[in-house]
Amino acid sequence: MNKDLRVKIVEMIKRSGEGHIPSSFSILDIIEHLYGNVLKFKKDEPKWVDRDYFILSKGHGCAALYVVLEKYGVLKEKHLLEYGNTEGLLAGHPDSTKVPGIEASTGSLGHGFPMAVGLALGLKILKKPNRVFVLLGDGECHEGTVWEAANVANNLRLGNICAIIDWNGSAAQLMPRDDLINKWKSFGWTTNLIEGHNTESLNKSFKNLKLSLEDTPKVFVAKTIKGKGVSFVEGHGMWHHKIPNDDEMVKIIKELKS
Amino acid sequence: MKKLRKEFADTMLEVGLLDPKLIVMVGDISHGILKPYAKACPKRYYNVGICEPTIVSMAAGLNHMGLIPVVHTIAPFITERSYEQIKLGFGYQKLDLNLISVGGSFDYSKLGCSHHCYTDVSLISHLNRGVVIIPGSPIEFNKIFKEIYKNNSINYFRLPEKPHNVEFQSKDIIFGKGIKVKEGKDITISVIGSQLANAVIAAEELEKINISTEILYFHTIKPFDGKILRQSVMKTKRLITVEELSAHDGLFNLCLKASIGIDGIQVEQMAVKDFLHSYGSYEDLCEKAGLTSENIKKNALKILKK
Repeated sequence: MNKDLRVKIVEMIKRSGEGHIPSSFSILDIIEHLYGNVLKFKKDEPKWVDRDYFILSKGHGCAALYVVLEKYGVLKEKHLLEYGNTEGLLAGHPDSTKVPGIEASTGSLGHGFPMAVGLALGLKILKKPNRVFVLLGDGECHEGTVWEAANVANNLRLGNICAIIDWNGSAAQLMPRDDLINKWKSFGWTTNLIEGHNTESLNKSFKNLKLSLEDTPKVFVAKTIKGKGVSFVEGHGMWHHKIPNDDEMVKIIKELKS
Repeated sequence: MKKLRKEFADTMLEVGLLDPKLIVMVGDISHGILKPYAKACPKRYYNVGICEPTIVSMAAGLNHMGLIPVVHTIAPFITERSYEQIKLGFGYQKLDLNLISVGGSFDYSKLGCSHHCYTDVSLISHLNRGVVIIPGSPIEFNKIFKEIYKNNSINYFRLPEKPHNVEFQSKDIIFGKGIKVKEGKDITISVIGSQLANAVIAAEELEKINISTEILYFHTIKPFDGKILRQSVMKTKRLITVEELSAHDGLFNLCLKASIGIDGIQVEQMAVKDFLHSYGSYEDLCEKAGLTSENIKKNALKILKK
């Protein structure tokens, strides 16, 4: 669990007064693992034609993506400092027309995933080996377009796409009879349960991942904790879209730096 | 006259053979007539399924890869149902798309209001990069599609079921320009789509009683040729708009906007006011909506106070 990046996230969101801290903490370790170990990309050439594509379909967790892009040199520190400002590139949802390394402007749930399926189809048509990774929320899986696209990807045998579901329990708050694993399996995706904050699990899962142009699509259902890393932020409640006050900020930083 | 849908299929084949980037996706319609394209352009035709919003979002992914997507299905499902996908996928992200619909307005006259659509033109027009074409004859579609399909815009082609049956020469069809079908001095009839047929009949009837009409026909709704409309209305000072679109936004509004500042003009709007809770032929529903040559004539006489 990367505590330093969590501090950056919370500082950025506190400074601007906008953002989703728990949702970002929930996916941070997965995104950091992807950029550090899995994705092909060039920090100075975000449109490099041979890159792998990563779409954050649950766009409200974008603070996690921003700090990872900054860690790997795609974004600069000044971009994080300008988060939420009129002169800045970054804010509460990512804008692909502005931000280097952002493939899709997401925010409205259920849009990024079908676009990722379109990317995978495009790569298949062009017979290119680039891979597509797309991260969805479990709550986002309430959206009908997720299942439309899951159905289509299976039907077209898009073996070059890997979805990752941030299974932090948000969906189960509303729909407790929630069997994500069997749902994805029943849509024809090769489905595996992984631990979204566990380096060993992430390493093993992505190392064994084989993507190709003609196969079943793959999905990792990643067990995660919303707000992971700060005890009183973890879980589902008022912290979803809350900005910490000064006292809370001190406590968050103290816990993250302990 | 050839059906617009057949022309669509023929044009896809023509363009697809020349442009390897053209990808056609349909929502389980027109697969029969698209077989020649599918055969000639393997791996570039997809009958994706009955999931219109997803097809539109997938098109964003294809365009992000540098391909040129064409999405084809029934108007209400491709526009009203999928509007957020069009707005965010292509408007917000500045990507390029070709949407080609059939079943606009009440073309599916016997299928009921679930298959009717009056707001599609307005919806796409709200997007800054939106382009709206209603080709009322095959040559209009063929010529304009080839001209703009890779123009870095969100192109919406709404194919009417019934061609207007007025023959145009290729040189008369210019993207973004209205066509003066008939020169006149007493009253301007501004018309789109299949309703051109009614406008022509009404003009002939009015000529018999010495009323001279000028017919302006618009295949391009956005960008709208306000100049030709304004010149005509400055001359006639009388305007009737005829459209199968919503009365709350459409050709009438465009014409009024183009007429701002012209003193003393009289106008009549002929459009669709609400759901047509009715079945029947296309002509039956035109009658129900008041979109007939007789009503164009009546409105002309009303304006002329005759």
